[in-house]
Amino acid sequence: MKRPLHCAAFIFIALLLFSSPLLAHVGSADVYYEGDAGPYHLFVTVKLPPVIPGIAEMQVRSATPGVESIQTVLLRLTGPGSKLPSAPDLAQRSKVDPQFFVSNLWFMEYGALQVRIEARGTKGTGSLAVPVASFPRQSLPMSPWFRVLGIVILLALTVSIVPIIGGVVREATVAPGEVPGPHNRRRARTVMAFTLIATAGLLYGNRTLWTREAATYDRSVELLKPRRVITSLDGNRLVLRLASPLLLPIAGRGKVTREIRMADVIPDHGHLMHLFLVGGPGMSRLWHLHPERAGETFTQRLPAMDGGQYRLFAEIVDKDGFPWTLVGEVGLPQLAGEAPAGDDSQWQGTPSSPSSPELDSALLPDGARLIWEKPGGGLKANVPTSFRFRVEGKDGKPATLEPYMGMAAHMIVMCSDFSVFAHLHPSGSVPMAALDIAQAGLFAPSSGAMPAMGAMAHVPEQLPSSFAIPYGVPHPGRYRLVVQIKRSGQVQTAAFDTLVQ
Amino acid sequence: MSVTSVPQSLTPSAVSRARDEVSAKKASIPWSIWLMASGIAMGLTGGSWDFAWHMSIGRERFWTLPHMMVQSAALFVAVASIHQIVTARDRETTVGVFGLRAPAGSFLALWGSVAMIASAPFDNWWHNAYGLDVQVATPPHGLLSIGFFATQVGAMTLLASLIHRSTGALRARMVRLLLAIGSISVVLMTVLIMPATVRMYMHSAVCYLAVALVIPIVMIAVGQASLHKWGCTMIGLGYTALGLAAEWLWPLVPARPKLGPVYHDITHLIPLQFPLLLIVPAVVADVILQRTGSRSAWLKALCVGPAFVLSYLAAQWPFASFLNTPAARNWIFGTGYFSYFDPAGFQYDPYQFRQVEHTASAFAITLAWAFVASILTTRVGLGWGSWMRRVQR
Repeated sequence: MKRPLHCAAFIFIALLLFSSPLLAHVGSADVYYEGDAGPYHLFVTVKLPPVIPGIAEMQVRSATPGVESIQTVLLRLTGPGSKLPSAPDLAQRSKVDPQFFVSNLWFMEYGALQVRIEARGTKGTGSLAVPVASFPRQSLPMSPWFRVLGIVILLALTVSIVPIIGGVVREATVAPGEVPGPHNRRRARTVMAFTLIATAGLLYGNRTLWTREAATYDRSVELLKPRRVITSLDGNRLVLRLASPLLLPIAGRGKVTREIRMADVIPDHGHLMHLFLVGGPGMSRLWHLHPERAGETFTQRLPAMDGGQYRLFAEIVDKDGFPWTLVGEVGLPQLAGEAPAGDDSQWQGTPSSPSSPELDSALLPDGARLIWEKPGGGLKANVPTSFRFRVEGKDGKPATLEPYMGMAAHMIVMCSDFSVFAHLHPSGSVPMAALDIAQAGLFAPSSGAMPAMGAMAHVPEQLPSSFAIPYGVPHPGRYRLVVQIKRSGQVQTAAFDTLVQ
Repeated sequence: MSVTSVPQSLTPSAVSRARDEVSAKKASIPWSIWLMASGIAMGLTGGSWDFAWHMSIGRERFWTLPHMMVQSAALFVAVASIHQIVTARDRETTVGVFGLRAPAGSFLALWGSVAMIASAPFDNWWHNAYGLDVQVATPPHGLLSIGFFATQVGAMTLLASLIHRSTGALRARMVRLLLAIGSISVVLMTVLIMPATVRMYMHSAVCYLAVALVIPIVMIAVGQASLHKWGCTMIGLGYTALGLAAEWLWPLVPARPKLGPVYHDITHLIPLQFPLLLIVPAVVADVILQRTGSRSAWLKALCVGPAFVLSYLAAQWPFASFLNTPAARNWIFGTGYFSYFDPAGFQYDPYQFRQVEHTASAFAITLAWAFVASILTTRVGLGWGSWMRRVQR
């Protein structure tokens, strides 16, 4: 346990300076979050187990010195189960970095959960709530040797019980000193045959039970994968409809599920749905739109768009704070229309390709530059990384930013094969809607906790020129990062290509 | 204690010879039998504790104290059985299996203990794969239960053989031990049928079908094998006492959930529900068995089986209604206890009955199956009991 802790501490020290979290999205389950626990500024990574039940690893690093202990508990995000804490898990403190802590928590349920973190130290005590979307991604594999062991044990038990029963029936009622008669022997054979059949029946029954349980679990895994949407076009109006109902399985309750209706969707940083259309060769075009709810569908009046095939990623959050990612494809004709307005935005750039240069600077429409302060040594998969950016005006001086949907920036991370799609914010990789719920619960009058400075604070109209977004790219590959900021009332977008080892 | 006469099937010479032998050589119950019985008692305690642990604290790792107790129980039985097998010298009072000779019960108990131990890694895998909370009907739990039951059958077979080869106070003590293990077996059976017999299903016929399918086998078999006039009643009392002890004592132990989310404020161990009122059909079974005396086993089964179900229904049904009232939400009846992960009161009303059979005819058909099952299981119990009364090795 010590070595991984030290390694993780080094990685954290080296790479994670500022952060915020991310949604479940596509192919990216772990949670990265930055926030204040009272006087302590914490960076939190939640490494979710692929199998639920499973143990999640919480890595917490304090940017504020003086933290002496970290405790974590797991609760539901809303409703029953969100009030009563279990016995807290005392995080292990790194001997290399005394401000780095690792805690392990069992995740047993699916859905919207939260990890409450309590930091204690020289500046007092502070609390933090991190929303976590809990869902199984795979079933627990059984190693070949374990499978063989199981078969051997079951066969041995099956084979051995038959002669034991036979011997017992044949001789147990025979008077001391006498030998078993033909009747006893005949009865023993009959009982042995019956035992063999009964044992085989039991084995078959157990196998059926096992298979059924495995199928139920696999169904839960499937239900919680990104769900497909069906699209239709009515003039410029794009209609999105779920291909199948959104069903949230309930862990341990067999095939029992809870259906999520579109009426259950709540606004996430101002919009019910965040729709991304990615098209063109090499992810060279991107639209970030916000469709409106219409019954069980969502509709979006499309702006002027080039015809072609587009990948579609739509993100919604249900009323319990669980994020759902909807995926699909849509073929569009050349559309005439107005330019995106309000929070809607579009971007068009050069295609991403294996030969794309790994630039760390991109020109913005008004001549300013967005500069990515890339970590030395390049990006590595599954390593918490602080994606740090700064904006320089045409004159090379730091440029101020305006909030774009309440945040300094949005970053979309896409793998070239679309196996990963993540929509990140400096204010949190978790859905803002879920974060609001978690914060409201944390600072409810009954909790006794006091809001930290800056938590749930009003966003100023002008923001600093630099920002950071924490994220761990889930697997190696070629990625495109699309960063969106707002300046002078205009949404500005830039893209960076990078190879992740 | 009143003990009925030895069955006619035993030849007087064999019985007296064996009794003389046991009386002469052993004035007390062999230590290996005590070890085996202790193992079985530990298995029961560990199992009950494990339920309470799962429901109150959460199974945060495999090697919890209750799990260790259950595995130790299996080891106790294994050691006792192996000792009996290794030290068996007398070919006249042993049976042969795999070229070894030992009392019949020793082989059964050893097999059971091995099955219990073998179930552990698979139980661990299952929980890690499909859920940490209490789930009774799983293949590893099935193997554990079969193994535990086999240890009990082995111990009871061993005791039955010794009862017939002993006299006086020693014999009476062995009968009491046999009844105690029979009571533990009934506890195990009620745990296995628990998914169908929890309070919410007590106004469904499936609850009575589940009881009819398993309880008469053990209760009547051991009651008969004990040679005790009120054998079934004693077992019913033993089961009730064990159930009440668990329900009343576990809550005295402080506990707090280690896993979350937590739906109920847990401050102590949460026990299983109030024991089933099996004492009522147990008394009824004894009375009928006494009155039917030497009638054929099938006729006895025909009388005892339906009476068993009817009397249980007559007792449990109104009692279940009472359990769902606020008057039962206290330490005596324990209907206010909920596991930390149980969304009782939030996602469902725990004080409402759920109807498994949705029509009157479905209810009647299921109940009819319960009567049929009770006749068959009573017959099996009588046959097994009769066999145990004849066991000599």
